[in-house]
Amino acid sequence: MFRTLDILLIAVMVATAAFTYKTKHDAERQLAEIKSIQRDIRYEQDTIDVLEADWSLLTQPSRLQRLSEIYQSELELTPVEAHQIVEIIDLPAAPLEIEDILSRPLGGMAGDVGPTDGTVTGGIRQ
Amino acid sequence: MKLSLRRKASTIRLTEPGDSIVVEGAIKSTGSRTRSRFAITIALFMGVFALIGGRLVQFGVTNPDFRHPAAADRNLVSRPNIVDRNGEVLATDIKTASLFAEPRRIVDADEAVEMISSVLPDLDLNTTYRRLRSGTGFAWLRRELTPGQQNEILKLGIPGIGFRTEKRRFYPGGPTASHVLGLVNIDNQGTAGMEKYVDDQGFAELQEAGLTVGAALQPVRLSLDLRVQHIVRDELMSAMERYQAIAAGAVVLNAKTGEVVAMSSLPDYDPNNPYNALEKDRLNRMSAGVFEMGSTFKTFTTAMALDSEKVHLGDKFDATKPIRIARFTISDFHGKRRWLSVPEIFIYSSNIGTAKMADTVGTEAHRAFLKRIGLLDRMQTELPEVARPTEPKEWKKLHSITISFGHGMATTPLQTAMAAAALLNGGKLIQPTFLPRTEREAELTAVQVVSKKTSDAMRYLFRLNVEKGSGRRADVPGYFVGGKTGTAEKVINGRYSSDKRFNAFLAAFPANDPRYVVLVILDEPKPEKPGAGATAGVNAAPTVAGIISRSASLLGVKPEFGHESKALLISHQ
Repeated sequence: MFRTLDILLIAVMVATAAFTYKTKHDAERQLAEIKSIQRDIRYEQDTIDVLEADWSLLTQPSRLQRLSEIYQSELELTPVEAHQIVEIIDLPAAPLEIEDILSRPLGGMAGDVGPTDGTVTGGIRQ
Repeated sequence: MKLSLRRKASTIRLTEPGDSIVVEGAIKSTGSRTRSRFAITIALFMGVFALIGGRLVQFGVTNPDFRHPAAADRNLVSRPNIVDRNGEVLATDIKTASLFAEPRRIVDADEAVEMISSVLPDLDLNTTYRRLRSGTGFAWLRRELTPGQQNEILKLGIPGIGFRTEKRRFYPGGPTASHVLGLVNIDNQGTAGMEKYVDDQGFAELQEAGLTVGAALQPVRLSLDLRVQHIVRDELMSAMERYQAIAAGAVVLNAKTGEVVAMSSLPDYDPNNPYNALEKDRLNRMSAGVFEMGSTFKTFTTAMALDSEKVHLGDKFDATKPIRIARFTISDFHGKRRWLSVPEIFIYSSNIGTAKMADTVGTEAHRAFLKRIGLLDRMQTELPEVARPTEPKEWKKLHSITISFGHGMATTPLQTAMAAAALLNGGKLIQPTFLPRTEREAELTAVQVVSKKTSDAMRYLFRLNVEKGSGRRADVPGYFVGGKTGTAEKVINGRYSSDKRFNAFLAAFPANDPRYVVLVILDEPKPEKPGAGATAGVNAAPTVAGIISRSASLLGVKPEFGHESKALLISHQ
């Protein structure tokens, strides 16, 4: 004895319930995903922190000094002396070389057996 | 609702026609009652739905709080990293996992012990077994595991075993910068050094409010340079060993900005394991210890005399005879027994000459000058461990005379370096800082304490002392080092002892326009070889040379070989 309106309303109700359920379920899934990503981020951040501390530990000047002392015979590292530090303008100018072009045989003359380049000019057919 | 309505309708139909008036009245009366019932019910339902709706709206409007519920968890409180001026990590937080068990939920204690000990071979089997069998709710098994160990235990999948993350302060450099960095307590609160300074700047309140949990904190940058800091500590360690000193300390101070680039005091402690940090012998001597600085104080007396314009560089003073005042006799260690000019007094470190210079200026003016260059007040810096200098209650002529060569008042070494920087940088007193500061920022707080002319004269005297005087061993070719030695006799049982010394060397480089001031102190150094001297010129000076030669290039000072010390004298005149 259901009237059309009743059926319609029941259908609407069921649909609404289904929609609500789906939305809620999706939201929960998204939330779980966010949490998992946040956990991953935190893990990565912690790892970065540990690695940074590790890097800092490995590059401690005291450690590097100890290592360079141990491997002195192979590395032969010594502290930089003041006289070893110069700026580019302090460097002596490169010695100027005068090329002896007079005694060299002139090139590009007829009968000169020089190496030929790979260029083929259009005017000559071979 | 409908049902009750129908029932009422049928009762009405059943009534006799004779009592129609009564019935009508009844209908009327029941009808109005029904209507009021309707209204009540509707109102009730409306109320409930309005409540639900309102709550929904409320949920929709407010932002959900996703913050970690354990905001008050003290073990997860984080602190900002502390980095040096180049961004190298000096102090950081690392997360460590600690292993605990819930003995009540342990199924097989034997198996559990066996499995855990496969990962942690040094675990005490008996104690662990007893703990697991105790039946209590909670028991720690091992604190601070490495991430690798944690992973392996997780893989074992033992029921009733869990991890709790804890944050721990970690100092990768160990003792390298211990006194500057300070310490934190078990609750990760700063208790000393820059760690305490960070807390005092309002960080402690943030931490209290639980706002620092999981928040990304900006690192705190210090003015220290880790490389120079290491060099300073390394040089001090070898100096302490070579000269059998009971303590040593050094500071490298930027003369133009007041930044402390390196500061070390030995013996020190490892902040990662500070079991001995509170021993009296391990205090920060550079800022929390006061000493009679000895002859380095002649720098200030000379500067005062020149700045007063009562004394000029060419003036001569009679140093032929010791001064007798009250029951004291003041004589010279390296006596020349003749009239000495001001530069000669400085390079021969003449007590008599310096005392006479102080006398020329007068006692009142002497105290006023030391006050002006900040040697009588507690210095203003970030470090909490700063001692107040001591001075005589009443300044008499005798006090002025002894203080002129560094006896009778005590200051902190860092303060001495600060005052020396003021005399050499053109006359500007800049309070030392452990945070980065630019020259412009320093200009704003700087106080002109001596004239530029006096400053030029001091540069000349400093350099002269390294070229011809007691500071020859501090010279580093190329860096034009200038400096003043100080060998003070220590007070033992109320008397000045002649074999226990407190040595200092106050240096600046390059002397033509000092960028850095280096001060080294050595407490009770012994002669390197029997029969050799143990004055500051033979132990503190070479230590300064070692520090400068190794760190100058890192500090960005360009070596130059063409310097003429005559030019310094000319620039003064």
